[in-house]
This record gives sequence, C-alpha cells and structure tokens, in this order.
Amino acid sequence: MSIPRFAFLVHPLTMNQRRFVGVRRMDWALYTRKHGRHFQAGRICSLEMKGVAMGEVVSVPWLPQELIGDQSGGVEAMASAVEQLKDVQAVGLGSLLAVMGARGEALAERCEVPITTGAAATSWAAIENTLQVLERTGETEVAVLGFSGTVGEAVAEGLASAGVKVVVGGKGKALARRAEGMGIGFSSIEEAVRGRRIVVGAGTTGGVLEPGFLQPHSVLLDVALPSTLRVGPRPKGLIVLAAEAMNLPEGWRRGFWGRVYHLISGYGPSQIYACLAEPMVMAALGIETPFAQGRRLPISQVQAFGEAAKSLGLSARLASGWKLVDSQQFHTIKARGLASLT
Amino acid sequence: MAPANPCDPAIFDVVQDAFAEALGLDLDEVSYESKIIDDLGAESLDLLDIVFRLERSFDIKIPRGGIETAAKDGLAGDEVYEINGVLTALGLEKLSRAMPEVPREEFREGLKVAEVPLLFRVATFCRLIGHLVEEKAQLSA
Repeated sequence: MSIPRFAFLVHPLTMNQRRFVGVRRMDWALYTRKHGRHFQAGRICSLEMKGVAMGEVVSVPWLPQELIGDQSGGVEAMASAVEQLKDVQAVGLGSLLAVMGARGEALAERCEVPITTGAAATSWAAIENTLQVLERTGETEVAVLGFSGTVGEAVAEGLASAGVKVVVGGKGKALARRAEGMGIGFSSIEEAVRGRRIVVGAGTTGGVLEPGFLQPHSVLLDVALPSTLRVGPRPKGLIVLAAEAMNLPEGWRRGFWGRVYHLISGYGPSQIYACLAEPMVMAALGIETPFAQGRRLPISQVQAFGEAAKSLGLSARLASGWKLVDSQQFHTIKARGLASLT
Repeated sequence: MAPANPCDPAIFDVVQDAFAEALGLDLDEVSYESKIIDDLGAESLDLLDIVFRLERSFDIKIPRGGIETAAKDGLAGDEVYEINGVLTALGLEKLSRAMPEVPREEFREGLKVAEVPLLFRVATFCRLIGHLVEEKAQLSA
C-alpha cells in the first residue's frame, strides 16, 4: 500500500525568501526578477513522517504585495500548482495563501483535492499552548486579540469552553454582541491587555498592540505574522511565545532542502507551525473533509483536528522563536500572581 | 438621523452579503451606514477577503487606493494633498467630496492618510462598486 501524500502551498514573504526559491530551483530569472507572477510554482522540499504520510512544500513565487494586488491571478497560480500535484490527498495553505481567494474557498472550487487553510490546527495549537501557560503560571484569565478573525474567535471560544475566563480586546458593536452571545467579556485592546498577564495575539493584522500596554512579567502568545507587538521598548520579563508552534513529530524526515526551508521560514530545527500539520493529518488519517475552509470555523473542527493530531503523536510546543521554554521561566510570573493575592 | 440608502438594492444586497460572510456576521448586523472598522470590527486582511468576494460577484477589478486616487483627481501641480502623511486642508476637502457618505465633521484637521480607512462605511464600498459596474457597462456598450 502506498503512503498517503499531502502538499503544502507557500509563498515567499520577502525578496530574499524568493531568491532562496530561485537558488533551490536553479532558476536565475526567478532569483533576479522583481516580479514573480510569470513563474510557475515549484517544489521546495519533501517531508515525510515515516510510515504515516509524505508531503511536499510547493512555492507559489508571488510576494505578498503581488498576491494582494491580484487575488484572482493568485488563485489561478495556486490552482495550476495543485494541478501539477499527483496522488495528493490534501493540500494545505500557508501565510497569505490561506486568506486570499475567500480563505481557500475559491481554490477549492477549482480543485478536486480537499483544500484546508490551517486555521483549525493553528487555533488548536494556540489553545493548547495557552492552557499550558495558564497551568504553569497559575493565572486564570486571558486576553485574546483578533476576535474578528477566524483564529481569534476560535481561540477565544475554545479557551472559554475549557473554563478559562476570557476577555477579548477589539472594536465594534458587532464584535461586542458576538462576544456577549458567547459569554465572553469584551473591551478595548488596551483595557483587555492592561488587566491581564496572559495575552493571545491572534489578529489577522500585526502591529496592533503597544508593548507598553503589557504588564511586566507577562506572556504574549503570538499567532500573528507580522508580530502583534508594535515596535517599542518591551516591559521587563515579557515572554513572547510562538503560539502555533508544535513539536517536530517523531520520525519526521525532511532532507537537506527541508532543513534549509525550515530555517529560512522560521520553523527552526525542532518544531513546525501547526498549519503545516493540518494537511498531513488529513492525508495520514484519510480525512476528506477539510478541517478549515472559509471564514467560519466551528469549534468542533478545532477539537476534531486536536483529537486526530494527538492520535498521530503530535503535540503543541511552548517555544519562544525556535527555543523551547522551560517551566523555570514562568516562575516569576507565578510568584507575582501569588503575591498579588496576599 | 441615519442617511437614506441611495444605493442600488441589488448592489447593497451583494455588498452586505460579502461583509457578513468575510466577517462572520449576521446580515442584519451589516447596514449601509456601518463603519467597517469601528462598527464591524474588520481588520486589514478582512478587507482583502471582502474585496475578493466583491470582485468575484461583480466581475470587476477594485483598484487599490481607489478612494485616494479619486480624491486626488483634479489636483493642480502645485496643490498638496498631504504632508508627511497628514492630510492638508485641501486634501481633507477633496477626500470629503470623494466620500460623501461620511459626515463632514469626521474630516478633522490632523487626519493622517493611514487613518482614512477608519472612515470607510459599507456605503463607501456600495458607491465604489456602483461606479465600477457603471464603467464596465459603458465599456461593454
């Protein structure tokens, strides 16, 4: 029996990342040209979870501004990338590719293979990592930013359903009504963050949070890319965690270019981002219905991904950048929390 | 008093649907007068989603920076729209004319170019779509 296959579509975030794709594909024109839209998508590396699933990372060589300026063209480029794939059971989308084209819906209309955006896996990893932080710090309340987005809403709902007191920070009467309907508190970003030591930044837009709003010795679990934090002096003892980090699964093989890709894209040597795990889990377990597609993400889909991921031995990872964070680093936060009670 | 909705109902229905779908809202939460950031809670990537849905529904291309381009239309060579990212008095006047659905008092002195999206209403999109649909019809006539 052949091993299940999946693919993960990505795009370069910077000109230097696209130059890497040019080097990888030995394509001098792609390396030097300022515009990537005339180039076909191509494979960057293969990934394998031994005996479970095999995948390939495929780069659509458009930069963010090119995708934003021509979403229909971007969807065409993604569709032709999917057409090149053979015997693939699921396709995942990375970065902006997961947002454009109505969050995977337009691409799914063009393709027969299931398309999944990674939002369920990202939400699950962010929820799991936040619960771990709460356990280690002894805190009981969380501020969630980005409630208007798919991931922010799912994270807030998932934490609330796990018994955590959640306050979402944002703007708008419609969001306030939605939060109220879910039994979740709502306030401005500043108010939500100032009163809490644990903050999840799950916005679709980076740079929404003044570092000065955060308390000293607090934790920011950051899902947003670019970072939730604006530039500025950070409070003392702030720990910023990669909220969607997951441990590199046991038996994971990625070869030379896979290692280089992991380093360049910020995954680091020992972890993956959850969105990459979503198509892998689908392929490995023969799941044909995408975990996430479009704006709406029922919390049941997030939970379903979690159960499936755990059955394959996948787990969330408390990491700051590439580095694992140990319990010791949360001691000061825990001590301060206890001190405030006495 | 809320302004009347002069938009073609067929256009408004599609725009309303696009906002509701992209932001995960109920249809009745999206009104003609809704501010898309302060009332509906949209973020910049949500706008990307909304623009795509509208382009697909109407088979049009919504140009990036279309409002600013419209506001700058007719500026003489020596007339200045903004200085260091802050709109000049003339810039405010021009922008106000390009966005008649926004109350005049919101075009306050010191308004930054980066803050202009805070003024956008659902009506802004309805009007923009109306123009683009009309242009498309004229081109194909």
